[in-house]
Amino acid sequence: MPVYSFFIFDRHTECIYSKHWLPPPPDRPLPPSSFGAQQQQQPPVPSSQPTHPPSAAAATSAANDAKLTFGAVFSLRNMVRKLGGDDDAFISYRTASYKLHYYETPANLRFVMLTDTASLSMRNVMHQIYINLWVEYVVKNPLAPVEHKGGAGVRNELFELGLDQFIRGLM
Amino acid sequence: MCMTVFALIIINKAGGLILNRTFHEGGLNQLSTNDYLVLAGTFHGVHAITARLDPLKNQISATPTAPGGIPSRPEPPSGLEVMETENFRLQCFNTLTGTKFLLFTDTTQVNVDVTMRRIYDLYSDYVMKNPFYQTEMPIRCETFDRKLLSYIREINNNR
Repeated sequence: MPVYSFFIFDRHTECIYSKHWLPPPPDRPLPPSSFGAQQQQQPPVPSSQPTHPPSAAAATSAANDAKLTFGAVFSLRNMVRKLGGDDDAFISYRTASYKLHYYETPANLRFVMLTDTASLSMRNVMHQIYINLWVEYVVKNPLAPVEHKGGAGVRNELFELGLDQFIRGLM
Repeated sequence: MCMTVFALIIINKAGGLILNRTFHEGGLNQLSTNDYLVLAGTFHGVHAITARLDPLKNQISATPTAPGGIPSRPEPPSGLEVMETENFRLQCFNTLTGTKFLLFTDTTQVNVDVTMRRIYDLYSDYVMKNPFYQTEMPIRCETFDRKLLSYIREINNNR
């Protein structure tokens, strides 16, 4: 079951970590960091100038996607709690092309995972990520700050490596 | 077959609530009319966002072609279809004209598609064919209400 993206949002609604496992586009072999589709029509220019705008645009679009994801998840979570009572919890939603899974810790740390539509509940997977990776490598890291403003202390080597191995083990 | 249908909400293409019926007490919290209107508007917005969040939107090749060599139009992005929570399940059916049918059922519900299809049939027959119904306005059609209630009651009693 392919996993497409993974996000972590802190209690201040900020996206403190995001990672993508998207397959490379079939038609145009691009480096995985750039999503600039419109640049491909032009012949490649040897200067470094044209490669800069698409990566900056990709970064903004990724940041906007994270914000949109949070907005959708936050609204749905509040809607669910209103309808189902305060003990109810939003688990997942599915569209025709992807499925979004949600897990929230008691400290309002929010994990969001996007997978393909056929995958089963990823709640236990995200719970495992929380206890085995987040607590072990971020919370117990003496160098990581308490609040991860701008993602500080999250993107360390052990966490990145552990997460990548764990997700690739699922696929 | 065990299934319970809790409620049905119909949202028009502008995000306004046009029908709100509860069929099973105790499944969902009862909200005030104002809260239902807010809920409908919020869901309308979230539905639009979920259609845009498709992680594979950059992966689609430029011009897909149908077998005859004719360039085919890609499927329009679909928004939220099913939402699962601990206490209920929400099935959303978006018609081609943008009217949304939200069906709240219990978590073990199966064959919601069939139920949804039947409700859409009833809507087409008794709301859209009602000469006194103004489109996009709140639904006040007695026949529709009666047919809907008897259909849902049949489902809820069969469990």
